[in-house]
Amino acid sequence: MIRYIASRLLRAALTIALVVTFAFIVLRLSGDPATIILGPEAPPEAIEAFRHNWGLDRPVLVQYFDYFRAILRGDLGISMRDGRSAIELVGERIPATLALTIPALFLQLAIGIPAGVYAALHQGTAFDRTVMVSAVFGFAIPSFVLALALVLVFSVKLGWLPSGGRDSWMHAILPILTLGLGGAAALARFTRSAMLEVLGRPFIRTASAKGLPWAAVVRGHALPNAAIPTVTLVGFLVGSLIAGAVVVESVFSWPGVGRLLVVAVSNRDLAVVQCLLLLVAASMVTSNLIVDFLYGVLDPRLRQGARAGA
Amino acid sequence: MTDMLAPSVPAKPARRRWSLPWYVTASLFWVGLMLITAVFADLLMPHSFTALDLKYRLVAPFQSLAHPLGTDELGRDVLSRLIVSIRISLLIAFGATLISAVLGTTLGFLAAHFRGIVEQIVLVLADFQAAMPFLILALSVLAFFGNSLPLLVGLMGLYGWERYARIARGLAIAASAQGYATAVSQLGAKPGRVYLRHILPNIASTLIVSMTLVFPEVILLESGLSFLGLGVQPPMTSLGNMVGYGREYITRAPWIMLTPSVVIVLTTLAISLLGDWLRDRLDPTIR
Repeated sequence: MIRYIASRLLRAALTIALVVTFAFIVLRLSGDPATIILGPEAPPEAIEAFRHNWGLDRPVLVQYFDYFRAILRGDLGISMRDGRSAIELVGERIPATLALTIPALFLQLAIGIPAGVYAALHQGTAFDRTVMVSAVFGFAIPSFVLALALVLVFSVKLGWLPSGGRDSWMHAILPILTLGLGGAAALARFTRSAMLEVLGRPFIRTASAKGLPWAAVVRGHALPNAAIPTVTLVGFLVGSLIAGAVVVESVFSWPGVGRLLVVAVSNRDLAVVQCLLLLVAASMVTSNLIVDFLYGVLDPRLRQGARAGA
Repeated sequence: MTDMLAPSVPAKPARRRWSLPWYVTASLFWVGLMLITAVFADLLMPHSFTALDLKYRLVAPFQSLAHPLGTDELGRDVLSRLIVSIRISLLIAFGATLISAVLGTTLGFLAAHFRGIVEQIVLVLADFQAAMPFLILALSVLAFFGNSLPLLVGLMGLYGWERYARIARGLAIAASAQGYATAVSQLGAKPGRVYLRHILPNIASTLIVSMTLVFPEVILLESGLSFLGLGVQPPMTSLGNMVGYGREYITRAPWIMLTPSVVIVLTTLAISLLGDWLRDRLDPTIR
């Protein structure tokens, strides 16, 4: 178990290091930020001073190590646009984003898992087919189309819910629905196939054959085994929630980190984009670590450490 | 559509045609329509897609013969813009899918051939790619490289390479354990020949199925970026772009955003249905 945890932690650190390197390569070397920020007509002295202030005139490798060290110290630079520290700018937006993504995650789990399990237990019924069809549609409908369709129906036509802003809890309903529904469909489809696979295994037949009631077979044997592959999907869900938040916050003018990212990208605000990239990487790495630990909890084979890193 | 796929036996085979499920026939029809639209876009456009017609702004669909799908806020013909958008979006998706398939397969083969450190590097990169939401990576790259169509295609071409790499690596390792690959190398074939002429044809069906499954995701990704105003740039237009600009007129002229939205949904739906169906027929082993 210790070896298992250690290898996962090492991998997490490696991912973060790769993201930092990626950020450095892409964000620093793709163009000269001095001319981008100051414009091509800026006087050469101003550009020189700017480059010196931001350390852009030193050798690339030196910049890279400085950059790494600064990040380890928690210094992520200052927004080139408004002069405040990038961490501060990003930090004050995080609660707004969590206010959408956490309820959306629970919505996904609350709809997706029961729907998938029920569909698998009643394979071939109308309910099962409905789940499969909505899963296919859930994949094919991009979040911005779903968001605009909800706005069109609930804000424009019915006038029940506001179409943007963050003034009351009513404003959060449509964004949460948009984020939650697509993922719920994917989760339902995945849970269904995980469940079907487990139901086809010999130990299920054995359990029923020894006289266990069907409900007990499902609860005691099928569900715990189907949970193992389903847990993997949580990492994927977190990733798609983050990407979804970028789009959904833009549609609903919700003042979260996703909208900040779009604005920072169009303003070419280096420090803020870097900071957001690292934040996303950190959340992905954390959620993957949680998935790995859940594996350890759910799967006794891993706990006994017979073969780590499976 | 089914007639074209039927084996050309001249007997009585009215009923012995390939029986395709109805949704596959419908998907093939839709994809065919989209391909024809993309290829013959110049001939099909009733107007130039940038032509302004300020007298006819925000005309609703089915109101005017000249503008069957209506016009936008500048009086530009929605149908013409839609046709050009389909061409651009499909072009980007095709280019990107090809790049990603070639890149991923090459890296997968390299990993399978050299093993050791090369394999580890490919696998770590693949894990990294799979762990980060691609939209976020793409946004950061686009912001700082500026934006152009070739760059956008190249960037989208990095999407999904890790899936081909994993498949190609796994299958190539399995194949080199089989007799035929060893036999050809014993006969003196260079590794390049063994991989391209002998192993690749044997794993092609699996790779093609993966391409069909990645393709709609690329369309969704590009349309998402363009919707945010960070993908295809005006005066060029793409499906996501049209939705993004049409969104401003959602109350007064919802058709501007609805028509491209419907095309995006139907196209991704059709291709992913085809992909699922192909996977079940050709290669049930991958998911």
